[in-house]
Amino acid sequence: MSEKIKITVDGKEIEAQKGQTILQAAKGAGIEIPTLCHLEGAADSSTPCLICMVDVEGKGRVRACNTPAEDGQVIAVHSKELDAFRKERLTLLAESHYGDCRAPCNLTCPGGINVQGYVNLIAKGEYKAALMLIKEKNPLPISVGRVCPRFCETRCRRILLDEPIAINHLKRFVADYASEVGFRDDVVGKPTGKRVAIIGGGPAGLSCAHFLRKQGHDVTIFEAEEKLGGLLRYGIPGYKLPNKEVDREVQNILNLGVHVKLKKKWGEDFTIQDLKDQGFDAVFIAVGLSRQKKLEIEGSELAICGLKFLKEVNKGQRPKIGEEVLIVGGGDIAVDAARSARRLGAKSVTVIYPRSRVELPAHQREIEEAEKEGVQFFLMATPLKIVEEDEKLKVEMARTILDEPDKRGIRHPIPMPGSRLYWTGDTVISALGQEGDPTIQSFGEIEATIKLTPRKTIKTHPSTMKTSVEGVYAGGDAATGSRTVIQAVAGGRRAAESIHEYLMSEKAGIAEARFNFTKGKRFEDVDMHNFDGYSIKLNEVMPSRPPERRIGDFDETNLGFSEQMAVREAKRCLQCGCLGLSKCTYRELCVDYKVKANVARTRLKYPVDRSHPFIVIDANKCIGCTRCERSCQYGALELDIKRDEKTQLIQEVSIKLNDSCVSCGACVDACPTGTLSKQDLVIPMFPGQLTSVKSVCTYCGTGCSLDVVTKYGAILEIKADRKRPPNWGQLCVKGRFGYTFYRHEDRLRSPLVRDTIDEPFREVDWDEALRMVAARFGAIKDNFGSDSLGILASSRCTNEENYLLQKLARAAWGTNNVDNCARV
Amino acid sequence: MAAIAEKQQDGIWLRVAPGGNIPLLNSILYCIIEEGLVDEKFIAERTEQFDAVKKHIQDYPPEKVKQITEVDPELVRQAARKYALAENALVLYGLGVAEHKGGTAGVIALANLVLATGHVGRAHNGINPLRGQNNVQGACDMGTLPYTFPGYQPTDDPAVLEKFAKAWGVSSLPVKDGLLEPQMYDAALEGKFKGLYCVGYDPAQTQSNIARVHEALRAMDFVVVQDMFLTETANFAHVVLPSACFYEKDGTFTSGERRVRRVTKVIDPPGKAKADWEIVCLVSQATGYPMFYTGPEQIMAEIARVSPAYAGISYDRLGEKGMVWPCPSPDHPGTPLLHTESFPRGKASFVPVSYIIPEEEADEEYPFVLITGRHLEHYNNGSMTRRCEGFERICPEELVEIHPEDAGRLGIQDGAVIKVESRRAKIKAKALITKRSKPGTVFMTFHHQETLTNFLTSPGMDSKTLTPEYKVCAVRIQT
Repeated sequence: MSEKIKITVDGKEIEAQKGQTILQAAKGAGIEIPTLCHLEGAADSSTPCLICMVDVEGKGRVRACNTPAEDGQVIAVHSKELDAFRKERLTLLAESHYGDCRAPCNLTCPGGINVQGYVNLIAKGEYKAALMLIKEKNPLPISVGRVCPRFCETRCRRILLDEPIAINHLKRFVADYASEVGFRDDVVGKPTGKRVAIIGGGPAGLSCAHFLRKQGHDVTIFEAEEKLGGLLRYGIPGYKLPNKEVDREVQNILNLGVHVKLKKKWGEDFTIQDLKDQGFDAVFIAVGLSRQKKLEIEGSELAICGLKFLKEVNKGQRPKIGEEVLIVGGGDIAVDAARSARRLGAKSVTVIYPRSRVELPAHQREIEEAEKEGVQFFLMATPLKIVEEDEKLKVEMARTILDEPDKRGIRHPIPMPGSRLYWTGDTVISALGQEGDPTIQSFGEIEATIKLTPRKTIKTHPSTMKTSVEGVYAGGDAATGSRTVIQAVAGGRRAAESIHEYLMSEKAGIAEARFNFTKGKRFEDVDMHNFDGYSIKLNEVMPSRPPERRIGDFDETNLGFSEQMAVREAKRCLQCGCLGLSKCTYRELCVDYKVKANVARTRLKYPVDRSHPFIVIDANKCIGCTRCERSCQYGALELDIKRDEKTQLIQEVSIKLNDSCVSCGACVDACPTGTLSKQDLVIPMFPGQLTSVKSVCTYCGTGCSLDVVTKYGAILEIKADRKRPPNWGQLCVKGRFGYTFYRHEDRLRSPLVRDTIDEPFREVDWDEALRMVAARFGAIKDNFGSDSLGILASSRCTNEENYLLQKLARAAWGTNNVDNCARV
Repeated sequence: MAAIAEKQQDGIWLRVAPGGNIPLLNSILYCIIEEGLVDEKFIAERTEQFDAVKKHIQDYPPEKVKQITEVDPELVRQAARKYALAENALVLYGLGVAEHKGGTAGVIALANLVLATGHVGRAHNGINPLRGQNNVQGACDMGTLPYTFPGYQPTDDPAVLEKFAKAWGVSSLPVKDGLLEPQMYDAALEGKFKGLYCVGYDPAQTQSNIARVHEALRAMDFVVVQDMFLTETANFAHVVLPSACFYEKDGTFTSGERRVRRVTKVIDPPGKAKADWEIVCLVSQATGYPMFYTGPEQIMAEIARVSPAYAGISYDRLGEKGMVWPCPSPDHPGTPLLHTESFPRGKASFVPVSYIIPEEEADEEYPFVLITGRHLEHYNNGSMTRRCEGFERICPEELVEIHPEDAGRLGIQDGAVIKVESRRAKIKAKALITKRSKPGTVFMTFHHQETLTNFLTSPGMDSKTLTPEYKVCAVRIQT
C-alpha cells in the first residue's frame, strides 16, 4: 500500500496517495480538473494544452497532470484568473477549429429531433432505433411524416450540392415500417402518483400525454370530439393523412396507458376548478384554434366556413358544393378546401388571394399539387361582395394593388381603383386564418385569470409553456396561434417537461447546451470546398397517384418510400453534424468556460480524409492535443502540427495513418474532438444520451474487455476501458470494428428445413423445425443406436451453451459423441 | 507471430522451417543444458525424469538440427541464453505449435524448456496457449469433449458417472468413450454415424482436407446446423436453426487465462433467431428430455454444482473483471496463478520428445510447403468479419503469399491469379509477393468461402488430439 497524504483542493480536503499527480489525486476524490492533452498511461505531451494549470500555494501555477501531489498542498483549480486563463487557451484553440457540432437540420427542427441521427440509422437498416430516436422528441411520426412543412430540409446543406435529403419521407418510412412490423417500443415510467389533465386530444395534447406517461405520471385527456386526433383527424384531409393512420398514431399513445374522456367539452362539461377538485395536479390546455377569421365583406354569410367544411369532409360527410367553387384565402385551409372540393366533384375550383403567388401562406409544394389537380389560383384579386342570383352565387371582385407602406413598412393589398370582375358559381368557401377563442375566460373562475394575448391566444412562456395560472400550462395553436404539427408536438413536449419539473422538482432529461460551432449558419457562409469529391445524386422521388386518379377519392395521394428507396435516400446524407460529439471534451470545456463559437475559422482548410477503412480524419477540427499520436503503439499515426511561436495558434496540421496502422482504433478513442472519428459511427450524440454496456470480446481467447455503446437496440461503437484487464483499453481491429455483422442482411432470421440436401431450404417456424429435428434424430437413434448420433459444440458459444450441449448428448441422447471446434 | 517478431526491436525471430518445432525446441534445451543454464534447484525440487530428457537431447545440437529447422545455431544459442537467464519469461504459443502431426510433442518440448529453467509457478512466467477462439478454454472446461465430463472429470469413473446421472435425473450415462470430431467423419464414411448436430462451427470450410469432411457430411442421414449465417456446412444441412450473436445474449466465456467473464446482452436477435442455449433447450425438449432454465445464470449455478473448478463461480461474483478458475468455493478468490507449490501430479515429469516428420514434405512433384493461418482482420471462416463494413477493403479475397525469389523464378506477377495444387485438389487465388513467406513456402488463410483453401490441406493429424496438420502441406504452384 502506498502512503496516504492529504491535500486541499478548492477548499476541500481530500485524501490521496503519494506518487499520484495532482490531477490523479483530485480525480480520485471525484474532482475533475479539466485537461485536453493528458492521456492516462501515455507519455506527456511536448506541447501541453495547459488547461489543467492550477495554482499551488507557495509553488505558483503548475500543470496538474505532471505535478506530484504532496502532503499539505493547497490547490486552487478554479479562480477568476485560472478560469479566464483557461477561457483564453480554449478560445485560441477555437480560432483554428472548423466544423459543425450539430447539423443544420437538427438545429432547425422545431421539435429538436436528431435528424442526422435517424437518417443515418435508416442508412444502416436500423429502423427501430431510427424510430425511437424520432420518438424521443416527436411521438407523432406517422402524422408529422406526412404533413410537416420540413423546416429541416430547407437548411439541408445538400441543397448546395444538388437537392436536400428527403428527410420527412424518411421519417414517414420508419413510422410506416413500424406500423407494419409492429415494434414494441416505448416504456412508461414508474408511477409518480401525480395526475395531469390534458384538455384537447390534438397533436399538442397527445404529445404531452406521451411524454408525461414516459415520466410515469397519470394522464387523462379530455376531448370535445368523438375521437382523439384534433386537427390531425378533423382538419387535415384524408388524402394527406388518412384517418386510419391517425388511429394508429393515437393508439400508440394510448398504449402507454392514457385515460381518455371523449365528448367532454371544456367550458360546457367541466372547468379547470372541476379538474382540480377531481385531484389533478396540473392541467395542460391544448384546445387548438376552433375559430376562423370572419370574411368581412357584404354577403359573407353566404360563404361557408372552411374549417367546418374540412371537418365535415373528414368525418366522411360529402357536403353538396356544386360544380363551381370559389375559395377565399391562401393558407393551408384554403388549399385543403380547394383540393377537397375537387374530390367532391367540383369541376371548377378557384382560390382567390389578394397577393402574389410567392406570398401565398400555403406551402408551395401544396400549391403545385393543387394545380396538378386542376385547382386554379386567382392572384392579386379580392372579393368585394357576395350576392345570391338565380340559385347561384355571384361574387364581385377586384384586382389588387399594393398600398403605400404602413408604419412598419408593410404594403397591404387594396382593390385597384375601378377594377371590377365577377364570378358566378355554386359555393363560396371562406378560408381565412384561424383565431383564438376569447370566451374561454368566461368558462370559470380560474379561467377568468388566464391571460390572453392580443391575438386571443393563451399567453404562455415560450419555453416552459406556463400560463398566468400556476399549475396550468398551454400549448399548441391555442397558445402559439396557427402553427405546424411539429411545433404543436414540441410545445406538448416542453409542457410535459415543465409539468414534470413542477410536479417532481427535478429536471426531465438532459439539457443540451446550445453552444455550436458551425460551418456557416447561412448557405452563403458555407465553404463550397466542403462538397469536393461528392457527386450529384438527386433525391428519391416519392411515388404518388396521378392527379386525374387521386381526385376521384380521398385516399392517400403519396404512397411512401420502399425500403430500398429509403436506404438509398438516407445514404445521401452529408453527415454535417460532428461524429465526435459523444467524446468531445473540447466542446464540453467550451461550454463550461463560455467560449464564443463565432471566433472559429470559417473556411475549410484540409480535405476530410476518408481513405482509411475504419477511421475518418478531419484535420480541420484538430486542437493539437497530440493524444492520437501518443496513443498509437505502432508508430502508425504521423502527426505534424505547426504553431505560431508567439501566439501558439495552430497554423498547419497534418495527420496521416501510414502502412503500420493495424486499425486498432485507439487513436480515435483518444481524440477529444471529432478530428478522428469512426466510419461506422454515424450518429451524433451527446455523452449522456448513449448506453454503454460492459461485455467481453469473442474474437479470440484473450477475452478483451469491451464497452458496447448502444442506442435503442443499435450498436454504435465498441470502446475499451483503460481500467479493465486484460487489455487495459487496447483492442484489435476485430474487437473494435468487427461488430457490424450483427445487422447484415445475410443474418438468419428463421429456421430453415429441407428433406434432402439437394433441395432448397424452406423457412418454417420453430415448432415445425423442432418436430423435424426430433423425428429424424429419434429415428436414427431407434434404428442405429445412440452412438450413431453426435454433437459438435462450439468454442465460440458460451460456457452455459457448451454445458447444455454435452448434457444433451450424454443425458438426453445417451452418447459421449460430443466434441468442439477447438482444433481449428 | 511473424508480424510480432518483425516489430520487436531486440527480439529474436527463430524462423523455423515448417514442421521443425520439435528439433528447434530440443536444440534450445540442448544449449541451455550445455551452457549450464538450467534451474537445478527447481529441477530437483519440482520435477522428475530430467536425466531422461538430458540424455535424449544430446542428439539435438543446433548445428545438427539446422538441416531440419533452417535456423542459425548462433540465434538458437542467443535465444536459449536469453530465455534461461531472464528473471521472468513467458512461453506463449499459438496454433503453429499445435497444428502439426507432432503437435502434442511440440507442446511437451516447450514444457520441457519451462521446467528446465523454472519459468513456471511465479507471476510473469509460465506457459500459455493463445487460443484462436474466444471460448476454447470454456468449451473444454464444460466437457464438450468425448472423454470428460465438465471440469475434466473422467467419463469412466463410476463415482463421477453416478454424480452426473443424479444431477441430470437419468438412470445411467454412457460409459463408452465418444468419438472425436475426425472420428465422427470416419464413422460416417463407414456408415456407422448418421446424425450430426453442429452448433456454431463450420467444419466444411475450416477443417483440413475438407473433401473428406464433405463426403462424410453427405453420407450422414441428418445434419442440423445452428448458426448466424448460411455457412459452408449449412450446404450439407437438413435443418438450419438461426442463432443469436454474442451481442444478443447473456452468458460467460472463459479466456485463455481461465478467466470466466460475463458476456452481456445489449440488443435483441433478429427475426426468430434465439440464443444458442434457448435452442439447445428446445431441441432437448423436442427429443424427449426435459431441459428448462430461466436463463444462463441458472445454468451457471448448475455448472458450479457439478464442476469443482467452477464451484465458487456465480454471476453475482463475476463483476467487471471476472474470476479465474480453479475457484472451489463461494468464498474462494480464484486462482490466477497455477503450480506455485506443486503440479497436479505432484512433481512435473520431463518427457523426451523426438522429431515427428510431417505427413507431407516438399518434394520434386510438390516443391512448396503450404502453411495456412489467419489474417489479423478476419476470424476463422470469416462469416462474421467478412460481413463487417471496412474489413473487405483491407482483406477482400484469398491471397497466396509467396517469396519474391520464388515468384521471380516462376514468373509470377504480384496480383496474378495462380494455381496451387496439392495431392488432393487444385485451387486458384491471386499471388501476393512478400518476404513474409520464406522461400519454398507459401501462405494462405481459409477465411474465404469462395476459395476453400482446406481442399488442399493435409490429411495428417496429431496422433493424440487428431488436430490437423494445417501448417504443413506439399503443393506445387502453376501460373
